Amino acid sequence: MNFRRLVRNQETVVALIFIALVLIIGVINPHFLKMASLTSMLNNSLILIVVSVGEMFVILTRGIDVSVGAIMGLSAVILGVTLNAGMSLPLAILLALATGTAAGMVNGVGIAVFDVPPIIMTLGTLGIYRGLMLIITGGSWIETIPHNIKAIAELKILGIGAFAWMTLAVVLLTTWLLYRLRQARYFYAVGDNEEGAYWAGIPVKMTLFVAYTLAGVFSALGAIIFVSRIGFIPMQTGSGIELKAIAATVLGGVNLMGGVGTPISALIGGLFLATVDSVLVFLKVPAFWNNAVAGAILLIVVTIDFRIRQMMEDQQRAIRAQSRIDNATLSQSQMTVEEAQSS
Amino acid sequence: MSRKLLAWLKTWEMVLVVLFVVEILSFGKLNPAFLNVENLFFSTSNFAYILLAALPMTLVIITGGIDISIASIMGLTSIVIGVLWQSGTNVFVATGIALLVGVLAGVINGLLVANTDIQPLVITLGTLFLFSGIATGVAGSTGAAGYEGISGLPASFAAIAGGSIGIVPYPLLIVLAFAAVLFVVLHLTHFGRSLYLIGVNVKAARYTGIDVKKTLVIAYAIGGFGSGLAGALLTSYATSARSDLGNNALLPTLTAVVLGGASILGGSGTIIGTLLAGFLLGFLKLGLMAMGVTNDLSQVVIGTVLVVVVALKILISRLNQYRMDRRALKQQEETRKGVVLSA
Repeated sequence: MNFRRLVRNQETVVALIFIALVLIIGVINPHFLKMASLTSMLNNSLILIVVSVGEMFVILTRGIDVSVGAIMGLSAVILGVTLNAGMSLPLAILLALATGTAAGMVNGVGIAVFDVPPIIMTLGTLGIYRGLMLIITGGSWIETIPHNIKAIAELKILGIGAFAWMTLAVVLLTTWLLYRLRQARYFYAVGDNEEGAYWAGIPVKMTLFVAYTLAGVFSALGAIIFVSRIGFIPMQTGSGIELKAIAATVLGGVNLMGGVGTPISALIGGLFLATVDSVLVFLKVPAFWNNAVAGAILLIVVTIDFRIRQMMEDQQRAIRAQSRIDNATLSQSQMTVEEAQSS
Repeated sequence: MSRKLLAWLKTWEMVLVVLFVVEILSFGKLNPAFLNVENLFFSTSNFAYILLAALPMTLVIITGGIDISIASIMGLTSIVIGVLWQSGTNVFVATGIALLVGVLAGVINGLLVANTDIQPLVITLGTLFLFSGIATGVAGSTGAAGYEGISGLPASFAAIAGGSIGIVPYPLLIVLAFAAVLFVVLHLTHFGRSLYLIGVNVKAARYTGIDVKKTLVIAYAIGGFGSGLAGALLTSYATSARSDLGNNALLPTLTAVVLGGASILGGSGTIIGTLLAGFLLGFLKLGLMAMGVTNDLSQVVIGTVLVVVVALKILISRLNQYRMDRRALKQQEETRKGVVLSA
């Protein structure tokens, strides 16, 4: 793969910046490169990565879902309430996933069937789901969670947590499916050109519906990781993660104009943002500045990406212009040759 | 004349007026204390900040953009007022400087939106993190990160939100004055017309000779100013400066603009519409609270209102389209019949 194609790939650029960042911080503060801090960094990014993968499906179709955080909160509450009611762990998890799926389906119906613009639909359901979550719990935290779900987070395989493996598996599986499965390519087609996709016989509405449903499913998955790792459910659960998830996917190279991106983008972007959160501590900068740094990085990356795109367009334009000039001079010289022959 | 009157009666603004009257009357029916005029006037102070953010947001949305950083600008201006006041600056001078900071924040949004092809949602998502990060960073460095923030602001400053002329409280006056200015700017100036054209078709706007970049920067700057004003008002209302003031402002603000008749896709929207929708929503929340409905449930109601209104509007416009299609078809058939008969 030549250098230009590599640079054009935002995933690679961000991955390189990410590795450089980790190394630089490692040089400044060697504690950072220890296995313990690296795994804790990884564990802290899991929820964001999983939610971002869901968000990615929506963004691929040129949509947006700002309700994923609220869906995550609602699913977490359902999980907590059903577990505390004495339900078995698998059943409670299934119910939490069903909640996320149903919430995503509601978004999907509004957007695909009633044609409500995605930002409006999901902003509305953001209020609805978060309100429902508060109503179910009466506004108080769920503080005691049975131990059996917390045990999952403590499970380790080869020194790495079970959820980390699960997240990795989810990312790899979705990436593979997106490359291999014909129906999965529909997300790209719809996002790239909805009308074109329609005339090509792609079930556009169904694709949109599935994308929002998947965003709900993945948010519920994030909720399960959250409940298992944190061990209690505050009312702020998932609050603001929708913005972080959008930022992570965009950072990783998913284009908000639709049709471009892979789950790997979500993985890299999520890792990056979560690292920024834990990295400042190692640089002895107070954690208050976390968001400022995250925002600045997002802005810098997207503007650099814009500059690179512009530069490449200019280059291509120059090449085209040059070839036109070459053709013109060529045909001119041919004409002069012909003129000379005819005379 | 009567046809003109009829057309005016069928405008969206008129629908909002009717809804507003119905709303006030039905709340009054359920709870006669609600109809106390003085109460009605003074309760507007509860949601005046939403209007201050929503009115200029109308301009941004008309251009086809969006500004989700408004809540963080509110927090930023609030903390700037607090920190400057704490360091000995006169509180009104501090407010002036904070408003300038708000404008500056808007200008940054505008410059980034105008000079790149990155979607406004991504830009303002980045600045949302940036501004809120700066606000919490500044608050944290000065030891004001807690729940209290910087409290003990002078009574003369608290009078901005608490004072009134007769039964008209200052916040309502500020909202009405701001709305009047924006009405003139949007509906009676060349600048205002160009906002619509940019929203309908940027390329056409450029070819018409409109300075698109300058227009966009001004629109976002006005947005920043409005959010700054909202932040200052909230600070005065709470008599303390906090970096997270107005944190939940985004949903009601966007709901007000969209309910007011603006299309999220750009090209339409009015100041009167947003103003009416803002009052409609504000009193809806207050009325529900007066009936004993909790804040949580009113979130659900507002979210539902947003989604249902937009879905209905889309449905109605589709029905109209369908009716027009049918009529055109019928006419064509009749002329064809006529042609056959005459032949």
